[in-house]
Parts: sequence; structure tokens; C-alpha cells
Amino acid sequence: MAVTLSTLTERRNLWPWLLLAPLAVYLALFFLVPLAEVAIMSVTEPRPGLANYEKVLTGSLYRKVFLNTFATAALVTVCCLLVGYPLAYLMNATTQRRAMMILLLITMSFWTSFLVRTYAWMVLLGNNGPVIWLLETIGFEDPPGILFTRFSSTLAMVHILAPYMIMNIYSVMQKIDRSLIRSAESMGAYGLSLFRHVYLPLTAPGIANGSVLVFVICLGFYVTPVLLGSPREQMAAGLIGHQIEEFLAFGLGSAMAIVLLVVTLIVLAIYSRRFGLDKLYG
Amino acid sequence: MNPYLQLSGVNKTFGDFTALDRIDLDIEQGEFVTFLGPSGSGKTTTLMIIAGFEDATRGAITIGGHSLAGLAPQERNIGIVFQNYALFPHKTAAENVYFPLQMRGVKKAAGLAKAEEMLDLVGLKGFAHRYPKELSGGQQQRVALARALVFEPDLLLLDEPLGALDKNLREQMQIEIKRIQKRLGVTTIFVTHDQTEAMSMSDRIVVFSDGNIEQAGAPLDIYHRPSTRFVADFIGESNLLDAVVTDAEARVAECPALGSVVFGAEGQPPVVDGQEVALLIRPEHLKLSRDPKEGRMNAKMVIDTIVNYGDNALVIGHRGDTQIRVRVPGADVVILKEGEECHFSWTEDAAFVLDR
Amino acid sequence: MDRFLRWTGIAIVIFIAAPLVIVVPMSFSTSPTLQFPPPGFWLGYYAQYFTDESWLRPTFNSLLIALMTTILTMALVVPATFALVRHKFWGKGAANVMMMMPMAVPHIVMAVGYYSYFGSLRLVHSHLGVILAHTCLAVPITFLVLSANLKGFDRTLERAARSLGATPRQVFIHITLPILRPGLLISALFAFIQSFDETVVAIFISGRDAETLPRKMFDSIRQEADPVIAVISTLLFVAVFLGLIAPHVLRLFRKLFSRAAPKPVRATRNTQATTPQEVK
Repeated sequence: MAVTLSTLTERRNLWPWLLLAPLAVYLALFFLVPLAEVAIMSVTEPRPGLANYEKVLTGSLYRKVFLNTFATAALVTVCCLLVGYPLAYLMNATTQRRAMMILLLITMSFWTSFLVRTYAWMVLLGNNGPVIWLLETIGFEDPPGILFTRFSSTLAMVHILAPYMIMNIYSVMQKIDRSLIRSAESMGAYGLSLFRHVYLPLTAPGIANGSVLVFVICLGFYVTPVLLGSPREQMAAGLIGHQIEEFLAFGLGSAMAIVLLVVTLIVLAIYSRRFGLDKLYG
Repeated sequence: MNPYLQLSGVNKTFGDFTALDRIDLDIEQGEFVTFLGPSGSGKTTTLMIIAGFEDATRGAITIGGHSLAGLAPQERNIGIVFQNYALFPHKTAAENVYFPLQMRGVKKAAGLAKAEEMLDLVGLKGFAHRYPKELSGGQQQRVALARALVFEPDLLLLDEPLGALDKNLREQMQIEIKRIQKRLGVTTIFVTHDQTEAMSMSDRIVVFSDGNIEQAGAPLDIYHRPSTRFVADFIGESNLLDAVVTDAEARVAECPALGSVVFGAEGQPPVVDGQEVALLIRPEHLKLSRDPKEGRMNAKMVIDTIVNYGDNALVIGHRGDTQIRVRVPGADVVILKEGEECHFSWTEDAAFVLDR
Repeated sequence: MDRFLRWTGIAIVIFIAAPLVIVVPMSFSTSPTLQFPPPGFWLGYYAQYFTDESWLRPTFNSLLIALMTTILTMALVVPATFALVRHKFWGKGAANVMMMMPMAVPHIVMAVGYYSYFGSLRLVHSHLGVILAHTCLAVPITFLVLSANLKGFDRTLERAARSLGATPRQVFIHITLPILRPGLLISALFAFIQSFDETVVAIFISGRDAETLPRKMFDSIRQEADPVIAVISTLLFVAVFLGLIAPHVLRLFRKLFSRAAPKPVRATRNTQATTPQEVK
């Protein structure tokens, strides 16, 4: 018995590594190496040194783009919260049937590709589109073009990212024990004070989850700002693409990519310190 | 002749923690044995070692003289009913029961026929084509039992199978399991932490505590002649009173709570003068009365609480610092009042002496 | 207050729904310039999509790449998930982080990396390059979905099967795999969609030969806003819609056509019913 026992445990220790090895090797080759390549390019292209980082961190254009990226991501996050929280609340308060319909709509939006939704906003906000048409119909003379502005890209990003926020908050709200609310009411909390002292703290994890997710995705957003935004107010991802595609400035593009990556990882690290990263995408 | 199932010196450690400490146990063919003990006492670990899901650190197990050493679970021919039944959700009741036959190479038509026969035996005629989620808890239990028996195992292990059922159904299933076990004559080990279940079902009870076997014996033996304080306390209700033997010959002990107490000799362990012992008096062996009773030992106590169960009542009182529990017939309880002082009495044979 | 909340809700629902719905009428419009309201309706752009080589090829590329990505991702992720969920071993925490990393890195960063790395491997503008990149990006979501399923798997079922005479291999084939099948299918679907929708990396590395549908759409939107995009958007939207309501419709059908089937009895409670012995 003792012999089989020891061989068994030996095999058990090796087995998980055998199962894991193909993926580990794969990710090393096709994820870590290209990522390392970006880091290396950022300090070797066009010549060795930290010149690229100096440019990115001190150049006024780049600083402006990064600040703009941050501001946009923060704005989008806040807007998603303003859209998501009331809707999640209403889904919880309304009938089961209505909640299901809204949930279906949100999942539909979630599963519809970024590109399709971006394009849809182009249609909506275009010069011949329904929004302008509506404005003209109700009497606006010669409404201003809203497409290709910071407004249009922000609006579309809010629309695209809102499902993340709503689902996170909704799932937390659903788990709130109704009797908790009732007992708070029985102790004299109602209206705003009930909301502030009971409901808000209980839903805080959902808010944190949703916000971090939206903020982080928004930081690295490429498609929507490039297609819908103003060319004069680029975001970081767009500028990185621009450097690579237009100027073949690999070094500078890589340095910006690394800065973007580091910022993203810092946000995630702060978050995972408090909540644990695995919960974020669950 | 060797016993049918033999555990000798079975030992199991997890790091520094000793889960099982030299378990020796013999079980005869056809016997219904219950492993009884609180959770963490080692009963389930023992079961899992017999089943082959855990390896013993030391020791040997044989069935019918053949060692189980080195046999994988699937090679042991042991039927198990798990706590949550572990029915395969993607298979119907009949397919579940057919599964062990399928693994033994039985053809589908013959196997399914045998499976339905087995389902009949456990009282599930007509339920063969239902999926587990379409069955009630008791029905799932029956399917699990049929599945564990259909391949004529050398041994049947039941791991707290009644834990999830409500009280009425539990009692029905106890009777059912016993009936089917007798009919098939399969050697059975039943694990539970419920002492009434153990009492009502077993040929023999094995009491586990802290990785040791405290006592093994027939249910009534264990109840009336516990060999340790733990067993006395764990099985049934008890009044356990510390005492010191003053006269071993006359079987008298001095008990701080009751004074001088004579205890019986028949079937009781030998004692020596000056030995520190515990006296066990079961609550149903005590009688309450206003006045002392002739021919019995008597003492006084104050009634604190009366808990009514309808057919009987538990009277909890105190004498000095010692709590006394008395079971009285339901009809008697009307004359008792909380706060009242009364006499309680017992016979010599009702006082059982135990090592402290 | 209640009325205010109600109207807020309706406004938000419209905000979410409008962009999803608007592309449908536009795809039937005769106007090439996204004019609203559409001056007339026809199916011309649908015909154009289904006959134009420059749209059909990217569609085919995308399907092929997504399919291969799914197969490769599942082949890598399934064993790894079993290792990470079911075993304890040294380095498990690090392995977990590694599985999730591709989700934390912005796609534009990976795009820059792949552009240069695959350039040196001569994999740029090839199907293989896109498949390799998409597989990395699909790993985290596939792992998340699958590991959630695997964690919910009751392992006593496997023990039961062993005790009933099944070898570990038989247990895997007869018990583990069939019970996990829905979870495997869903995680594979996630991998497929992740690849099919991926835009940024594809823009940078798919080139003309392996051009994917999102890349073609992106270029087209940026350059001329070809009305065919409305057609594709409508088709994709309808696909998602059908995919989401399919389970509900199926359930409805099953309900309608199986009235004879036994009603499911709740498991642990409700025990007094149905068995002859239990009725007494």
C-alpha cells in the first residue's frame, strides 16, 4: 500500500504541470514575448536610451493626450454610473417581467460588437441623421454638427460601456437581503437617509467593480474615439496607433503603450489590493 | 475462521494531525454495523479508506481474506451511498442504476432490465425514466441505494444517507434500508452522527471519538453498559456523577452530590477501593415522588425546568451544584411544578459505574 | 419622485435601445448617405453584401479565424483549467495571474507588440498570425467561464462513479464530460465571439490577405461609410438577438409540446408525494 501511495502522490504533483504546460508555453511565446518586445522597442528605437519616455512624459502634446484620456475615462465612468445606477435600481424595483426585458436589452447591447454600436452612433448623430432631423423638426435652425466631436465619442463610449456598469450593480443589488432594508425602515430610516446609510454602502462593491472595469477599458479604448472623436482631441490608444501606422515611430509608440499599460496596471493593482482581481470580471 | 471484513492497525495522519489512531475492527458477513460519532471523529475517514478514496498511512484491510491494498476504488466492488446521493444528473434513474453494470460489460438491454428490477425492489416501480431532478429526496435516496446494490457488492457503505431528509421520511427510510439489507444479506457499514438512527438500525454500533474506537457492541449493550464516559454521554441522555469507591466488596461509592451510593454488580466493571469513578444513571431510571420511596435509594432536588414532549417529559432540576435530569411519563407531569422540591429515587442496578 | 425615476428609466432604456434599433431601417434605405428619414426602401445593399467579394472574403476570414481560435483556445485552456481548479501545486497563484493577464493589457499595447513581433516572424498579414494573437486574447474569458463551471461541478459524482466500477478514464468520458458539456460549449462560444469581434489587433496585423470583417468595417467606416455596413450591423445584431432569445423560445416550445411529461418535483422538500411506500 505504501508503495502505490508514494507513486500516486508523485504523479499528482507532476500532473497539474503537465496539464498547464502547453498554455504556459503558449502564453510565454505569444503574450509575454510580444509584450516584452514593446518594452524593448521603447528604449531601443530609434536609438538606445530613455529619449522616448522623456518625450512622452514632458512633451506638451503627449501630456495633453494622456490628461485628455484620463479626463475622458473619468467622465465616461461617471456618466455610466449616472445611467447604470438608476436603471439597476429600477430593474430591481419593477416587475420581474419588465426587469427581464430590460436585462435582455442590456445583454443584447453587451453582445453587439463595439464596431456595430459605434457605427450606430454615427448613423444617429450624422449630419443627415435622426437626431439632427429631430432638432430641425422641433424648430432648431441649422443645428451644429455633433459628429466627430468629443461629445459624440464620449456619448458612444458611455453607451458601449454602460452594460458593464449596469450588470455589476444589478447583480449586487439583487443579492441584497430585502429584510435588511425592511429592518432599516423599521429602525426609522427612509428616503434619502435609507439610501445613504443602507443602500449605497451595500451596493458599493458593485459600483467599485463597474467603475474600475469601465475606467480601465476606457483608458485603452481605440475604435470608438478614432472613428467618432475629434481628430484634434485624440486619446492615448488612438495616438499610439497613429504613431505606428502613420509615422512608423515604433519607439515613441511603444513608450506610450508602456505608459498606458503601467497606468492601467496601477489602477487594477489598487483595486485588487482591496477587492481581489478575480472578482472584477466575474 | 477469519472475520469477513477486517481492519487492523489502520492509521491515518494528515501532516501533524492524526485522523485515525490504530483502528482495529472485525465485521462478520451480513452484519449491519453503524459507525457513530461526532463530526471529525474519524468515522467518515475510515469509510473513505475502506472505499479506497483515501490511503491509510499504516495498517491493512481485508475483505473475505483478500487484502484491499493497492486496489483502486473501482476494483474493490464496494457499493456506496453518498450523503447527497451523487446521482448522475444526465442519466435517468434506470440509467443511473445500469451504470455499474455497464462498467462491468453488461449489455444495455439486459442491464436496463436488471436495473428496473432493482428499482422495483427499492419501491420505485414506474420511475425508471425520470431524471434525478424530477425525483423527490426520498426517491433519489432509493435510486442511490439501488445503484449501490445492483452489482452485488461485497460490502455496502452508507455515508450519512438520511441527513438531508425530514423526520418522517427519515424513519421510513430507516425501515426500508433495513428491510432491503436483510433481504439481500449484504454486509453493511452505516455512518451517522444520529444516535437514535444508530440504535434503531444496527446489529452493532462502533462509537468513534477523536480518531479512536471508543466502544463496539450491540446497541443495547452500548446503551446500558458504556465502557467510557464519552460513550455514556454521547449515547442517550445521562446523569454522570463523579464519585470515589469506598467499599469495592459491597460496591459502595461516595458521591459528593448524592452521598453514599450503592451500585450494581451484574455486568459492571470491577473496581478497587479508593478508585475515582463516574456513576451513570439514565434519566428514565429515576423516579420522582413527593415522599421517599421504599426499597429504593432516595435524594432530594429542586425542579428548575419541565420540558414537555407529550408522551413524556424531561424534568431538569438541581441538587447543590449538580444538575439532575429525569424522564417521567407524560401523564405524571401535571403534578409537578417548577421551583418545587421533590424526591428522586433509583435502584442499585440503575447506577452504573464507569472509569473516570 | 417615483414619476421622476420612472421617466429617467424610460429615457435610459431609449438611450440603450435606440442605437441598436436604428441600423435596421438604415440597412433597407436607398440613400447612400445615412439620410434620415430614409427616402425609400430596398434590398440593394443586402444584395451588394452577399455578392461583393471585398465583403465576403473578410467575412469568411473572420469565421475561419474565429473557428480556429476557438479550437486552439479550448485545446489549451481546458486542461489548464482542470489543473488550476482541481489541483493544489506550487506556483498556482502565479499561473492564475498569468491566465488573466491578457485581459488587463489594453489591446492597443498588444497590437503594437504583435505588429513588431509577428513582423520578425513573418506572420503579419497571415491567418496564422491573427489566430495566434486572438487565442491569447481569448484565454482569460474562456478560462473564467470554464472555471466557474468546473468549480460548480460536484466531485462526489466522480467518486460515486469510481465506486461503481469506472476507471478514471471512464469517469471522464461517461460522467465528467457529459455533465460539463454546456459549460464547455458556452466557453467555446465566448472564445469564438471574442475572436470574431476583435478589432484593434486585427487592424494592425491582419493585412490584406487575412483581413477580418471588423477590420474591413473599420476601414470602410473611416473612409467612406459604405451603407453595406448597416447591412452587416443588422445581420450581426439579428444574430445576437436570435442567440439570446433562442433558449427562451426553445423552452416555450418544450412547454407547449410536452404537456404529457412528468412535472419536476422539487428535490429535498416535497418528499411526501408519489412513491407508493411513502404515501401509506
